[in-house]
Amino acid sequence: MNVVQELLHRLPRDQVIVDDEQKAPFECDGLSAYREKPLAVVLPADIEQVKQALAICRKHNTPVITRGSGTGLSGGSLPLKNGVVLGLTKMNRILEIDPLARTAVVEPGVRNITISQEAAPHNLYYAPDPSSQVACSIGGNVAENSGGVHCLKYGLTVHNVLAIKIITIDGEELVLDYRDDGVDLLALLNGSEGLLGVIVEIKVKLLPKPDASQLIMAAFEKVSDCANAVTNILKSGIIPAGLEMMDKFSIKAAEAFAHVGYPLEAAALLLCEVDGNQYQVEADTETVSRVLKENGAYMLKLSRNDEERIALWQGRKNAFPAVGRLSPDYYCMDGTIPRNQLAHVLDEIERMSKHYELKVANVFHAGDGNLHPLILYDAQIPGELKKTELFGAEILKLCINVGGTITGEHGVGVEKLDSMCQQFSAPEIEIFHKIKRVFDPENLLNPGKAVPTLHRCAELGHMHVHNGQLPFADLERF
Amino acid sequence: MPLTPFQEQIKQALHEKHRLQIIGNQSKVALNHDHQALDMSGYAGITSYDPAELVVTVKAGTKISDLKQELAEHNQMLAFDTPDYGDSTIGGNYACGLSGPSQPFFGALRDFVLGIKMVDGQGQQLTFGGQMIKNVAGYDVARLLVGSKGLFGLVTEISLKVLPLMEEKTYSIEMGQADAIVKMNEMAGTALPISGCAYYQGKLYYRLIGVHPPQSAMPEDNHIWQKMNPFRPEISGKQKLWRVSTDSMHPPIHNTLLVDQIGARRWVVSENKPDVSHVDLWSLQEKTRRPSFDSHTKITDIKRGLKSVFDPYEIFY
Ligand SMILES: Cc1cc2nc3c(=O)[nH]c(=O)nc-3n(C[C@H](O)[C@H](O)[C@H](O)COP(=O)(O)OP(=O)(O)OC[C@H]3O[C@@H](n4cnc5c(N)ncnc54)[C@H](O)[C@@H]3O)c2cc1C
Ligand SMILES: Cc1cc2nc3c(=O)[nH]c(=O)nc-3n(C[C@H](O)[C@H](O)[C@H](O)COP(=O)(O)OP(=O)(O)OC[C@H]3O[C@@H](n4cnc5c(N)ncnc54)[C@H](O)[C@@H]3O)c2cc1C
Repeated sequence: MNVVQELLHRLPRDQVIVDDEQKAPFECDGLSAYREKPLAVVLPADIEQVKQALAICRKHNTPVITRGSGTGLSGGSLPLKNGVVLGLTKMNRILEIDPLARTAVVEPGVRNITISQEAAPHNLYYAPDPSSQVACSIGGNVAENSGGVHCLKYGLTVHNVLAIKIITIDGEELVLDYRDDGVDLLALLNGSEGLLGVIVEIKVKLLPKPDASQLIMAAFEKVSDCANAVTNILKSGIIPAGLEMMDKFSIKAAEAFAHVGYPLEAAALLLCEVDGNQYQVEADTETVSRVLKENGAYMLKLSRNDEERIALWQGRKNAFPAVGRLSPDYYCMDGTIPRNQLAHVLDEIERMSKHYELKVANVFHAGDGNLHPLILYDAQIPGELKKTELFGAEILKLCINVGGTITGEHGVGVEKLDSMCQQFSAPEIEIFHKIKRVFDPENLLNPGKAVPTLHRCAELGHMHVHNGQLPFADLERF
Repeated sequence: MPLTPFQEQIKQALHEKHRLQIIGNQSKVALNHDHQALDMSGYAGITSYDPAELVVTVKAGTKISDLKQELAEHNQMLAFDTPDYGDSTIGGNYACGLSGPSQPFFGALRDFVLGIKMVDGQGQQLTFGGQMIKNVAGYDVARLLVGSKGLFGLVTEISLKVLPLMEEKTYSIEMGQADAIVKMNEMAGTALPISGCAYYQGKLYYRLIGVHPPQSAMPEDNHIWQKMNPFRPEISGKQKLWRVSTDSMHPPIHNTLLVDQIGARRWVVSENKPDVSHVDLWSLQEKTRRPSFDSHTKITDIKRGLKSVFDPYEIFY
């Protein structure tokens, strides 16, 4: 029996997809430029079935690509031709909500937003809110250590997960808890992109909903003024719940899409939300407004109620699809920079945009330095995708050069393997490979993703390798 | 690149096949006479600090008190609220993974670690993470090594997220322990800006930051949080001191001296190990390594495997 036959034999028939047409929805994630059909897709309904599928794959030496909702933007759950996709969307039960202890225990396929919806009757919510929260799974969030608009104040996924249950490739069921003594395995699994274990249960922290939230919108004639305002808000001692910036192009796109009253003539728009109890929110609103004016904001708008606040966010939250309407295709980048480099980086991106003759819209998590330039292109034009990728790689290089990183929240996946060679030295990458081997010596879990082989780095010419001796020369190149 | 003195010492130890024991200010461990010290206490100072970026990068031997003072001058703080005894180092604190009463509200030490520089057991200089609040490139080694107690490698530099210094006020309510545990959890589920919640000697204490509604509870001195620290020798005395990490709603445990962190941390003074999971022995007198009670052999195997990734020749004791 081969691996597919054995999966079909041992698991319920309707949970194993082998038909070519039915496999199609699984051939890519949110980075649709890369596609591949796997041998089969398995949709386990519980932990036992996950173990079974893993055991079969291991027996046949078949790679396993774990998949949540497939909203990833770096090709993390891109299938392998000789691999099996383990899709966890059927494991979508909320197992427990403890309102007094403020925790929820959930299966990995639960959508991010569902947790907050289920916790709402207790006046609680789950803080990390990636823009994809209506679709993405909490398991995928842990695997990517996802962030959201609120992460400056409330942290990333890693800060809001208390324990996880994983199944290792050899079928062991392990609980990793923040209370465990010694090295922090829970932190290691966050952001491990499906390479170390299959996450099958997650215990998250729930937070009380703030009593009050106030959105302050400010328009600037100069991008540098807006950047300074961000710096000075943080210097003033306020940590906003959200602090987001958009450039002229994004403002126009978002306004045309959502009609929320963004100032079209502004060079930069800042959305700052403060939250907490009524007293604090009033004090903070006053301080933020003062700082904004002092830094050259020519227009301020305060949300008068919750409906208006949510409406004003709609433009920003829909910035990606809004830009998408202006161009046949766009490529969403994700780098992080020190905030004090913002004006410089935006200038450089502008220069590159002219050089490559490709338009860019900038959407920016200003509070935490996470930049999302959207490069507009047309895949129908021969060579334009390649050009776009070169442009993207150059932006990431710029991020590294100013002291930042190549990914703030979307992960490395297959997309940023080359850029990893620029951010890390050979010994560091070797350490990553060794960590992987502690968990998965046969390299069966999501092989080829997240960490480049040293071969690849050497071929790119970014890494110095002594005497042509490549560690892990036997590892497959992706 | 020239080798740093630390790298030289590690390479020397490799060559001579002897072991090294990393020490900060030895407030947690004492030097074992069979081992050579790799002493970090002199490697001190702030490498970079831009208050507007909310990030400080500091050498591992820097005293916590010095770091706190520097931050306070810019109206900022280490939000994980580590207890301040004036002489422990930030590296030792990182290696022990210690956080104070604010942990459930702001996060633990590991939640503020953004990046590290380290030297592994082969003398290689490595950098993981950076100075970014958001960074998901590569495995999160900077957070993995929190709690590694000097067994994996020498951490030489740490980048930490810092927060604005906040005005705080402490209040207390008299009540019994079981009631207090429930009350604490109830309060933590409201929008009150809490940064500490503990039960000590018949009183529930809570600390609020920033602007908040008027309270009907008794105002208290903010220094109470240092005073209720079970580490003071006159408090724990001759009995053994146990740190129990548990669910915040766990019912009272016998011989509890202090319930901290909304109930998620209990300090128990007793000869015997409390019969709960996640218990660590804290002995100031002995200054021996804390035992760890791993529940699962596979987890122990993984930890051993990781140790050999960073320190294949077992240089670090
Ligand atoms: C419109 C849009 C907006 C987005 N906005 C944000 C944003 O604001 N912030 C942000 O961080 N991201 C954002 N993303 C990216 C994406 O939504 C996140 O990375 C998300 O966490 C992926 O979750 P998923 O369930 O779709 O995972 P998938 O795409 O299915 O998988 C992602 C990775 O996780 C692994 N994985 C998934 N589930 C598990 C599991 N249970 N165990 C082990 N490994 C697993 C996969 O192997 C893969 O490597 C956005 C995406 C889109 C399309
Ligand atoms: C009086 C007193 C009260 C205390 N109260 C509390 C308390 O209330 N709560 C609490 O949580 N803790 C408490 N502690 C513990 C104290 O905070 C820790 O002992 C301290 O953080 C360790 O710092 P150190 O520099 O003294 O490290 P050391 O004791 O020298 O070393 C501690 C460990 O860290 C390792 N280490 C040190 N530096 C490095 C480095 N650069 N790289 C890698 N590994 C390193 C060492 O190998 C060792 O395993 C208390 C200690 C004292 C003495």
